[in-house]
Amino acid sequence: MMPPKIMESYHTQADVWDELMSEKGVRESYHHLVKTIDTLPAEELDNKDELAKKLFMTQGITFTVYSDNEGVEKIFPFDIIPRIIEAREWAIIEAGISQRLKALNIFLKDIYHQQFIIKDGIIPAKLIYSCPLFLREMINVDVPFDIYSHISGIDLIRDADGSFYVLEDNLRTPSGVSYMLENRSITFRIFPDLIPRNNVRRVIEYPSLLLQNLMGLANRQTSNPTVVLLTPGVYNSAYFEHTTLARLMGIELVEGRDLVVENHHVYMKTTRGLQKVDVIYRRVDDDFIDPLTFRPDSVLGVPGIYWAYRKGNVAIVNAMGNGVADDKAVYSYVPEMIRYYLNEEPILKNVPTYELNVPENRSMVFANMDKMVVKKTNESGGYGMLMGNKATPEEMEAYKKAILEDPRNFIAQPIINLSSSPCYINGKLQPRRVDLRPFALYGPEGIKIVPGGLTRVALREGSLVVNSSQGGGSKDTWVLGS
Amino acid sequence: MLSRVAESVFWLARYMERTNGLLRVLRTNYVASQDEMKEYNWRSVLQTYGYLNPAQIAKIEYDSRAVLQYVLLDRNNDASLINNITRARENAKAVQDHITKEMWHNLNAYYLLIREPQIEQTVKYGDPLTALDALLKHGLFLYGTITMTMTRGEAYNFLNVGQYLERAIISTDVTDIKLKEVGYDLKHEAMLPSLRYLLFSLSGYETYLKSSKGVVECESIMKQVLYNQDFVHSILYCMEHIDRYFKRLHLQSISESYQPVQFLIGKGLSNLKYSSCNLKDGASIKSLLVQTRKDLQQISRALNTNYFGYT
Repeated sequence: MMPPKIMESYHTQADVWDELMSEKGVRESYHHLVKTIDTLPAEELDNKDELAKKLFMTQGITFTVYSDNEGVEKIFPFDIIPRIIEAREWAIIEAGISQRLKALNIFLKDIYHQQFIIKDGIIPAKLIYSCPLFLREMINVDVPFDIYSHISGIDLIRDADGSFYVLEDNLRTPSGVSYMLENRSITFRIFPDLIPRNNVRRVIEYPSLLLQNLMGLANRQTSNPTVVLLTPGVYNSAYFEHTTLARLMGIELVEGRDLVVENHHVYMKTTRGLQKVDVIYRRVDDDFIDPLTFRPDSVLGVPGIYWAYRKGNVAIVNAMGNGVADDKAVYSYVPEMIRYYLNEEPILKNVPTYELNVPENRSMVFANMDKMVVKKTNESGGYGMLMGNKATPEEMEAYKKAILEDPRNFIAQPIINLSSSPCYINGKLQPRRVDLRPFALYGPEGIKIVPGGLTRVALREGSLVVNSSQGGGSKDTWVLGS
Repeated sequence: MLSRVAESVFWLARYMERTNGLLRVLRTNYVASQDEMKEYNWRSVLQTYGYLNPAQIAKIEYDSRAVLQYVLLDRNNDASLINNITRARENAKAVQDHITKEMWHNLNAYYLLIREPQIEQTVKYGDPLTALDALLKHGLFLYGTITMTMTRGEAYNFLNVGQYLERAIISTDVTDIKLKEVGYDLKHEAMLPSLRYLLFSLSGYETYLKSSKGVVECESIMKQVLYNQDFVHSILYCMEHIDRYFKRLHLQSISESYQPVQFLIGKGLSNLKYSSCNLKDGASIKSLLVQTRKDLQQISRALNTNYFGYT
């Protein structure tokens, strides 16, 4: 395909995989899209960009930033150009994530029961017991169907050769799925007819798949289980997502204060009195879920819920204690877990990861810090991270000091050149770095991954950090049918 | 339905109705202020819809634009329109899974509208009626959306109980304010103009003209405001609708909660309907208004205790 006019200002970078352009020109999967954009009048993309912003605002797809006693409504930045994934690429992602999740679930069951993986010397006991997210309270707790991570968001990136790597696993309360759904509904408003013409697979089934899984987890004696979504409340930055999911599944959105535990059963306070709750999709962190067992100062949780859970009277999704499996230091052992539990070779690669409690790793990382990204093992959202190529000598020194004080708390990875994808910025298409978070649902019937996900994009030129807290945005993700 | 959700839906409706009532009062007063031979005094509006001290009131009571800015857009004024709409939206935000998407979008758009710089500009420098009408129109659009999209379930019934309870309170309060302006003296020379504005504030002037053939007269105005069963802002109409929508909650309620509230609604309705109020006597009207206000407060408290989890 000849480079269209709109592509004239689009310059890819060396050693970076571009989702749109190959050495031969525009990739086949993008032909329709580029052709459509190219036929639009010059100002039309600006209009579409404006329309998208307006739609997010008027539909209340916002989060509130409170300052000076006044709430300011903000939208999560959205780029109008979709990211396209071909069917054969998706097949690899799907198989790789399923494999990984199977292994991680067996790992969680194992680590909270017999601990064969430690006894067989695959993972050091010290690494597990020093993880603050390992919950002793979960030892020997049986969870329904032995499933721990019912909802997972696996962050993938693409290196210069185009192969996918897992950057991190999110097995606790991964967020962003509502943006996957809303981005799609905004895209068909701004590019009518383009989605069907491109044979894009649907993401709309996500809420019904999730509800099916949640209902399946209820106690088998209950024919019509009550499923609720537990939110920390309206001030949580992901509140929009909680309310969207509750609405799309037709379940109650509850806060901790709406629930009460009596005789190890969980009830919600309704206008008709107390109503028994069977399954809780919680979006409250482990620490806050039960003040009687975890943080006593938590007002977001429900006193006594842990014991109701432990007795099997209520199912909690995701299970408590999953943090030990998405700890950034444990992450480096996932390929080994796959080999150990499944006797298979990992389909998706890990980014090489150096545990900094190993002295040799530490020396190597300190000597090459400008080529490394250093991360705290238990933080997310782009916090607690040092990008070596952008850091000042003072910042590097501060990190070195912190690492020496508590080496278990840090890992380092070589800086990976995230792939770039076209974004419409300042009136022209420009490449910006992206990652991909597909959402996997693990239920009694197996693992299902909705074809799509959240593509996060680093909107700042040259930035490799895609987190929304660090100036990142998102775009619609199209997985093409075969 | 969760008690918290029921409460949020109830209050969402109350804040919306309060918004509508406040806009009508401001519109009527603004029109009146432009039709006065002498400078119009906004004191009673400022006293009712604000928290200014007498000195602060004295400073702006003759300045229509300053009053409108304070009552419409001042975030520091707890009773301002912008705060009402913000609270309605906050309540709606917390119960999005119980209201329709259209209703949420509409309420969110209302919130965005009042924050538009254009509204403030118009109030400050342009024609304030344009701003007031735009806001009123959006409010009506919201009521239409509720009627056309909401399922007639528990949430809809709580919405209506909240809406009619608030409207009954507003009609009672606005009538009281207007009668207080003339010291409840029905023969006062300012009585009839005052009652005319009362009808404007309650959107009842046209209804009144049709039934009275153009004669503006105190007793029949009071009859309309208090007892007209076809006039949507009459206190009796509102009380009957509180009763109607509350009865629909019967099947979704437990008897211990339902009975005490139903009793108070019935009592309030009887107190109003079968009162021996003399509509030619200011003191008699005052006593009825005081009693009605008390009954409405008791209903609200009973809902708190029996349905919203306040013990």
